[in-house]
Amino acid sequence: MKIVVAIKQVLERDAQVRIDTAGTWIDESGYQYEMNEPDAYALEEALQLREAQGGEVIVVSAGPERVGTTIREALAKGADRAIHILCDDFGARDALGVARLLAAAIQPENPALILTGLQSEDLGYGQTGVILAELLGLPHASLILHVEITGTGLKVKRELEEGWFQFVELPTPAVLTIQSGGNKLRYATLMGIKRAKSKETRLVAAAELATDSIPVVRLEQVSLPRKQKSTQILTGTPQEATAALVEKLKFEVRVL
Amino acid sequence: MLLLPPALAEPTNFSIPEKLLFVVLLLVSTAAFWRRFSLVLNKILQSKKDPSFHLFPIGKRVQDFVWEVLCQAKVVRQRPLPGLAHAFVFWAFCAFALVTLNHCATGLGIGFLDPAGRFGRVYYFFAALFALACVASILGLFVRRFIVRPKWLGAKLSYESGLIAFLIFVLMTTYLASFLVTPTDPSARVLWWLHTLALLTFLPLIPHTKHLHLILSPVTVFLSRGSFSRIPPLSGDEDFGLVSGTDLTRVATLQAYSCVECGRCTEHCPAANTGKLLNPKEIILGLRGYLNEYGPASPEPLLGQYNSQQAVFQCTTCGACEFQCPVGIEHLPLLIGLRRGAVNTGSWEDDHGSKLFLALERGSNALGISPAERDKFIEKQALPLFDGTQEYCLWLGCMGGYDPKGREIVAAFARVMDYLGTSYGVLRKEKCTGDPVRRLGNDLLFQQLAEANLEILAQNKVEKIVSICPHCVRTIQEDWKEYGTPPEVEHHSEFLARFADKLPKQVSEERIVYHDPCYLGRYRNVYEQPRAVVAHSGQLVEPPRSAERSFCCGAGGGLAFLGEESGQRISHNRAEELIATGAQKIAAACPFCNTMLRDALAATGDGAPQLLDIAQLTARNLPIAGSS
Repeated sequence: MKIVVAIKQVLERDAQVRIDTAGTWIDESGYQYEMNEPDAYALEEALQLREAQGGEVIVVSAGPERVGTTIREALAKGADRAIHILCDDFGARDALGVARLLAAAIQPENPALILTGLQSEDLGYGQTGVILAELLGLPHASLILHVEITGTGLKVKRELEEGWFQFVELPTPAVLTIQSGGNKLRYATLMGIKRAKSKETRLVAAAELATDSIPVVRLEQVSLPRKQKSTQILTGTPQEATAALVEKLKFEVRVL
Repeated sequence: MLLLPPALAEPTNFSIPEKLLFVVLLLVSTAAFWRRFSLVLNKILQSKKDPSFHLFPIGKRVQDFVWEVLCQAKVVRQRPLPGLAHAFVFWAFCAFALVTLNHCATGLGIGFLDPAGRFGRVYYFFAALFALACVASILGLFVRRFIVRPKWLGAKLSYESGLIAFLIFVLMTTYLASFLVTPTDPSARVLWWLHTLALLTFLPLIPHTKHLHLILSPVTVFLSRGSFSRIPPLSGDEDFGLVSGTDLTRVATLQAYSCVECGRCTEHCPAANTGKLLNPKEIILGLRGYLNEYGPASPEPLLGQYNSQQAVFQCTTCGACEFQCPVGIEHLPLLIGLRRGAVNTGSWEDDHGSKLFLALERGSNALGISPAERDKFIEKQALPLFDGTQEYCLWLGCMGGYDPKGREIVAAFARVMDYLGTSYGVLRKEKCTGDPVRRLGNDLLFQQLAEANLEILAQNKVEKIVSICPHCVRTIQEDWKEYGTPPEVEHHSEFLARFADKLPKQVSEERIVYHDPCYLGRYRNVYEQPRAVVAHSGQLVEPPRSAERSFCCGAGGGLAFLGEESGQRISHNRAEELIATGAQKIAAACPFCNTMLRDALAATGDGAPQLLDIAQLTARNLPIAGSS
């Protein structure tokens, strides 16, 4: 089974982000980057399917040169080869723009299954995988925790709210967006890193994929959450103060 | 007239058939010896060369050889009575080298040492004194092995040891008896032949039994890896640690064949003492078994039939085995080597282990906590930030930066440094030194952490580090060397002892028992400094297992992160021993020991002694801020 996993490189989880001078993106200098966590689970699912079924796992990632480290990590963990879509304006592309790039790169591979994380840890649109399915004209399912290959296609376990699960069957080829936590992630090994050196990473310029990159969404402004402390002293009799407190908790803080 | 010592009766005039018989027996015996010994020698020589092995500097090797082999210092010091008995047997063997050579020469009619001559008379008498000591010793050792039977020697009686003891006894008594007869007496001839037969039976037994250590262990001691727990760097793209026979180096194979099965390693092993699968002696014998069956060129995995992965990952890397070993076996590079083989190829699957690795692949500390928490701690304690102008960089480490009790130790030590007026600062950013992943065998992650930290330190122009964690200290100073030049580093016990004169003392009547951390004692040879610090606060008490024989807390080797142990908890075993001293306080000098013992003490219920780090003991003696 040929499986493509679309992976995004994101800022390291504990980074203290700074906003750039234009106020529309973060200042990217001096940070470390890592693999988007839901994508790491998508890769893990793909590797386990390959281990059980045989076949090939191809990772696709779009972004500037630094994305190479995340691609190497995926190869080290066991992916067979990689496609790196080189683009320096990655931050300016919306989900549709990214999905168009991915679709153009994936189409010639003609895979039986395309996996990606259900959302990114930085922008968190949760759209790219779904749009990708639409662009490729494939069936899709989101929030997947487990994939089972059946004789006719796939049986997948979806996570619903409040601890409910849904089992869905769908034909292949298909696009699935993977939820974190369905599997145990494997750790990177020295042997994996050494073997990864001899694996192929094909570089494709975004322009070569000849897709329209004009964003339909424009970032107006990004800002850090503002810390604010506001203490109010409720006065009056205990009964009045309690009533006022309940009022505030219900309508201002909205926790009741 | 000068009283002459009695002369040895040496038979002369051997007949031709007698000479022929002797020659035939000598050849048979030598051939039987060589057949087996050449096999072992070939296994050693066929093993791969160790690229990181250097014979030079040779001075330390000679020193170790004289001290450990010729003086038998380790053998005697760590097990005084049987050690002394062994030493006398060894020294008698040395003294007998010349005697035996002449004995064989006599059988061929070319004896060169006249028993009645001046030198011969004195030398034989000298050898006889050793023979007497040897007889007494071998009888003692026989009683120990077959009647007292310490459990370290294994449940099975070794009859070959009995046979060897008997042969040594015959060798010595036939020699001594020869002083009581005259050379012309027929019994002199009988004694000569008995001595010869014992000798020629003994010779082929050497390579067939653990007595191979007679030949190999002096070489093993001389060809050590050079320092305690020295983990050799991996070489080339196909070296992942000890995966199969092809990864065994000559040093490793030599060590596997040197084991004398005395069980000192097992006697002191925290895992073996708490009912776990790991038994360091069996690890070495497992390697030997593997080499006997498959040899050093085999692709067969090392973990499997002869050694189990489970056992290898139960090691706390406390190093008691390597420290104790009298024949120069270095257990830690072997145990860690086997772990490297399993982790670097991804064949070790452990939920806790993977969690630790992933936490360090993505995050900065082994506890998997956000670095923002470290920032908050630094802010709350108002610890100065290192800016390149201060003398010391105070390295927090994972425990000091994130663990609540570790933070208390850092805070106490910072108070002491403030009192002394020492200039110091903490780094804005720090990563785990890589100690747990180094000992668990994850070379990829260790390299990443070491390189990232070396870069941070270089950027900050750090020249001197002081840390409350012996694991950090060891890893920074020794293990990072593979990837760069680490700054000077010391443990806070060394710092505190150096400034002891300037710090207030309040020696109370309180009894304080000191627990030696493995990574401070055996790894760094720091025993006196923390004791000196403790003695400034109360009456120092030693637990039964202390200093270089100290018993591990169970945290080392990454095991603090690996979840529940099988068998008894090592920390509980140690805590019970510390409580039994009756001390009111337990002094620790390592945040990992602290956390393990704290949990173990909590499990013993009320009335357990209070547990404090030596920095906290010192800080208690300081005048309360503002009141001085």
